[in-house]
Amino acid sequence: MTSVYQSKFYTLYQSNTDRYFYIDFGQKVVKLSFCQLLALRQKVNSISIEAHFDADLNKHGFEVLMLCNKEHLFLLNTLEILDLKNLVCYGFALLGISSENTMVAS
Amino acid sequence: MKNIARQQMSIKVSSMDLLNNQIKLEAHASATYLAMASWCDQNAFTNSAEFFYAQSAEERDHMMKIFKFISESGGIAISPTVEDINHDFSNLEEVFETALDHEIMVTKSIHKILATARNDQDYVVENFLQWFVQEQLEEEKSLRNILDLFELMGRDGIALKLIDERVTRGE
Ligand SMILES: [Fe+2]
Ligand SMILES: [Fe+2]
Repeated sequence: MTSVYQSKFYTLYQSNTDRYFYIDFGQKVVKLSFCQLLALRQKVNSISIEAHFDADLNKHGFEVLMLCNKEHLFLLNTLEILDLKNLVCYGFALLGISSENTMVAS
Repeated sequence: MKNIARQQMSIKVSSMDLLNNQIKLEAHASATYLAMASWCDQNAFTNSAEFFYAQSAEERDHMMKIFKFISESGGIAISPTVEDINHDFSNLEEVFETALDHEIMVTKSIHKILATARNDQDYVVENFLQWFVQEQLEEEKSLRNILDLFELMGRDGIALKLIDERVTRGE
């Protein structure tokens, strides 16, 4: 298994043997197909971090994240979400299918 | 490291994001044209209503074209939500003018995605978008032709009826 990118709390791995991706969330490791990894990116990117700083929009500053067609459920705080956004951004850039320019932008 | 991600997907994720956003714009255009068709029906501009029904269907086709392209490229296409559809217009000319403004906005968006794709050397996306560049040109032109009729024939009741008679589907 090859480590693709390690953020503060999480690590993204790629397995060349079973062609799956793995994210070590600390409390558990989640196995994802490429499509599921894409779906995770979609979900993470659509989380409004601004809402975490507005008590009306997100009162407690938590985010519920469901992965792999609701197989996994995570409750993440603001810092964890920011870190996950970072993992997704750099992880995809390193996987070689991201725009070279997005890394500068985000 | 094997490039498993690239083996699964032929386009860049940045292009995918922009194309998903374009899906939203096309869906919004489709719904907007439906609202315009409704206004024209209410005001007895039958041909104009038919024109907008046809436009609405075309925009949905555009949306589906992008939707399927994303899926076929190995990406995830997102079903759009459509909000804020305006149903209020003060006259027929305003309807067509708003439609043209909408098309110009869509054209700009297509150009922006194309420029980004070119910059990222995402040539599959660049090639896919060429069809849309041409399509936008034609849609802008047909609306401009209709707007010219108002200059030509005026804006009183009879003129408006005559203009409506001249509006044909996909002109
Ligand atoms: Fe369109
Ligand atoms: Fe259009």
